[in-house]
Amino acid sequence: MSNTTSDDSLITTEVQADSNDDRAPVNEAGTAVAARDLNVYYGDEQAINDVTMEIPEKRVTALIGPSGCGKSTFLRTINRMNDMIDICRVEGDVEFGGKNVYDADVDPVALRRKIGMVFQKPNPFPKSIRDNVAYGLKIQGFDGDVDARVEESLKGAALWDEVKDQLHSSGLELSGGQQQRLCIARAIAPDPEVILMDEPTSALDPVAASKIEDLIDDLAEEYTVIIVTHNMQQAARISDRTAVFLTGGELVEYDDTAKIFEDPEQQRVEDYITGKFG
Amino acid sequence: MATDNANADGFGEVSRVRGIAFEYLSLGASVFGLVALGVLLVYVAIDAFDLSNASPEWLLTYFVTLVVPFLAFCLYSADDPAVTRRALGALGGGLVAVAVVFTAIESLLVPIPRLNWQLAYLFVVAAPVAAYLTYVGSNGRPGAVGFGLLGRLVGGAALGLAVGTLFLVFDSLVWFLAYTLGVLPAVGLYAYGRVREASRARTAALPVGFLGLVAAVVLRDVIPTYPSDLLIYLWTIAVPIAVAGGLVVADRRGRTVAAVAAGLPLAVATAGGFWATGAGLPAPTVLLVLVTTGVPTAVYVSRVVDVGEGVVGLALPFLIAGGVVVGALVVEAWGVPAPDPWLDAGFVTEAPSRTPANAGLYPAIVGSVIIIALVAVLSFLLGVGTSVFLEEYTPGTGPIGTLTRILQVNIANLAAVPSVVYGLLGLGLFANLLGLGIGTAVTAALTLSLLILPITIISAQEAIRSVPDDLRRGSDAMGATRWQTTKNVVLPEAMPGILTGTILALGRAIGETAPLIMIGAATTVFNPPSSLFSRFSAMPMQIYTWAGFPQADFRYGVVAAGVITLLIILVGMNGTAILLRNRAERGS
Ligand SMILES: Nc1ncnc2c1ncn2[C@@H]1O[C@H](COP(=O)(O)OP(=O)(O)OP(=O)(O)O)[C@@H](O)[C@H]1O
Ligand SMILES: [Mg+2]
Repeated sequence: MSNTTSDDSLITTEVQADSNDDRAPVNEAGTAVAARDLNVYYGDEQAINDVTMEIPEKRVTALIGPSGCGKSTFLRTINRMNDMIDICRVEGDVEFGGKNVYDADVDPVALRRKIGMVFQKPNPFPKSIRDNVAYGLKIQGFDGDVDARVEESLKGAALWDEVKDQLHSSGLELSGGQQQRLCIARAIAPDPEVILMDEPTSALDPVAASKIEDLIDDLAEEYTVIIVTHNMQQAARISDRTAVFLTGGELVEYDDTAKIFEDPEQQRVEDYITGKFG
Repeated sequence: MATDNANADGFGEVSRVRGIAFEYLSLGASVFGLVALGVLLVYVAIDAFDLSNASPEWLLTYFVTLVVPFLAFCLYSADDPAVTRRALGALGGGLVAVAVVFTAIESLLVPIPRLNWQLAYLFVVAAPVAAYLTYVGSNGRPGAVGFGLLGRLVGGAALGLAVGTLFLVFDSLVWFLAYTLGVLPAVGLYAYGRVREASRARTAALPVGFLGLVAAVVLRDVIPTYPSDLLIYLWTIAVPIAVAGGLVVADRRGRTVAAVAAGLPLAVATAGGFWATGAGLPAPTVLLVLVTTGVPTAVYVSRVVDVGEGVVGLALPFLIAGGVVVGALVVEAWGVPAPDPWLDAGFVTEAPSRTPANAGLYPAIVGSVIIIALVAVLSFLLGVGTSVFLEEYTPGTGPIGTLTRILQVNIANLAAVPSVVYGLLGLGLFANLLGLGIGTAVTAALTLSLLILPITIISAQEAIRSVPDDLRRGSDAMGATRWQTTKNVVLPEAMPGILTGTILALGRAIGETAPLIMIGAATTVFNPPSSLFSRFSAMPMQIYTWAGFPQADFRYGVVAAGVITLLIILVGMNGTAILLRNRAERGS
């Protein structure tokens, strides 16, 4: 058993904060994304309720909480994917790089080029593996060596060795786990600053999921990763900070991952993490 | 206890009577429809080719020289004893069965008009067996090669004829200048940019091409002398096609082979063009047909030889041509009565005439081809544009959303408006209001485009809607603009569906008569249209006119020949479009 598993730890996981040892303490990192007094409504229904939080740069931040509590909604406010939903209304600020992304002069398309996103269900384009990864470069008019960047990104997504001989076959011919890593490669190819992941491993088997977890750990060297997950162990293993949302879109606790999982302030959080409800 | 009882009696039975009744009723209905259509087509074919006058000896000769070798080739290619046994069984058993049944019906029930049992055997047994063996044979390697070559020959000839026909109405001098000043430099720059990785050259290609086009239009009337049409087509179409073919071969086989594969057909085509000038044939069309058949054939042959498998298949075109020639010689020597088909070379290359024997469809074929080409381009662009706008760009709510919904309902209703009404609209809007002229080719093309637009829009919308939203969101999240998402993700995914809808709609447009009558298209013209604004006739118009002539030969023979020509062109057009679509589908 690992050194960090103490008796009062709420869940038994062998790694706990272990995997994050190589990174400096969170309080030394700058802020990548910050939400201030954020409220989000779908029509009359409120999905995010007055959330204020600062997400550290080049760290993994996990968002957990029961189904329907607004985690995906929160994630989508960061790259303004909520704009696509007609009835969605956002109040308050989301700052990215010191600028409120909901300011009138922010072009959401330009914003999204700086923020990569990986979805719950792998959604590679029906194109070749190479063209999938090169997609962001293509639409941004990238001028350099596309193939070198494709290779770099596939290596970054720990997929290169498996696909290097079939770069021109369709991305849809890969397995689910490979497809998800392809989507990660696609997201990192244009070199964004932040990567948003909405339950990236929920459609995968444990082995594929653990590959992606290792990958996320590596990604945090260069990128700010914000990940939604329903898997407590996963959140505990890979994240530096954890935010717990509860029903109604409230952020009830946000702290270092070790603290949340070993000694949460609130009883509700403890109940949720230990599976008493949610 | 209850479960014990149930198990003892098995699980009971669920009635399937209704399902089974439905299944057989539907089967019966579709079989009835197909048989009725088949009988009609058989009679039309008999009339068009004058088969009722074909003597049994004539049929036997061609059966032996043409059909049997072809079937043998297919069997050889399939290389499967089971298939051989089945085919021989069907041919032999069918012979006895058809002869017996046919004679029995004739003697016991009613005489069957204009059919004998040999013809019945041809249509009922030989044709289906040949179709089946063609399918089976094309799966074998020699068969695949043979049909591949045949397809390139036929397809290339059709393409060459179509392009030659379209250029009848096109100002070849503008085209010459536009190609020389615009297209060629632009393509050259782009290719140079690709090879040398020079993005500046690639970006310059578009403006250069555009400037060239403008210059062409401006200089059209300034430049006093031009080369002949033949040289223009040689320079602007034949040479580029040969170069493209050469590049394909060069990729695999090196320069020498490429030079031969491209140069030989080009030389033959050029020679053919000059010979045609002397012989009084349309030289540009001859040149184009020779190039569009020769270059793809040469490329294909070089590849087959390269692979080294199924090379025998290359003999298929010779087998067929040889069968026809030998058959003709035998019939000639034997002196048996031969049919005198209405649908012969003269029918498709000559103008209409007062006498049935000299009647031709050529001007109407040209008219139809030109109109269909315009309609295809117009309705595809308009249909895709409108459906992309409706599906991807308009919001679902708010005043614009309401407007879109109203538009949507109206488009659906427009699909149900009778075609005569579209004819009226075309007459009022295009012919009179816009002054495009009564009975001109543009007016007809615009009217027919309008007629099929609702169908293309609705099917394109359906195809676009079936693209999963996941893909759109994935692209949006990468920072793609709406247009980039549409162009790179949505349209490629939806394209096969969009093309299917357009192909079906075009099939309807090519056979329309009523709107053409309304816009005042000529019933009979003696020259093919020479510009978009000249009077034209279309195949269905001409056929309709012939059907009203008093002479029986017109109403039976010539009309049937026209119908068969129309069907062949329609099937060829759709077949090509479907092939291309399937290619595109596999490519993506
Ligand atoms: N497109 C939408 N239109 C209307 N309401 C929505 C939409 N998307 C989400 N909601 C509502 O907003 C609330 C939060 O949804 P959200 O998808 O953010 O939850 P979640 O925490 O991601 O849940 P899960 O863990 O199940 O994915 C839910 O009550 C949901 O009904
Ligand atoms: Mg969610």
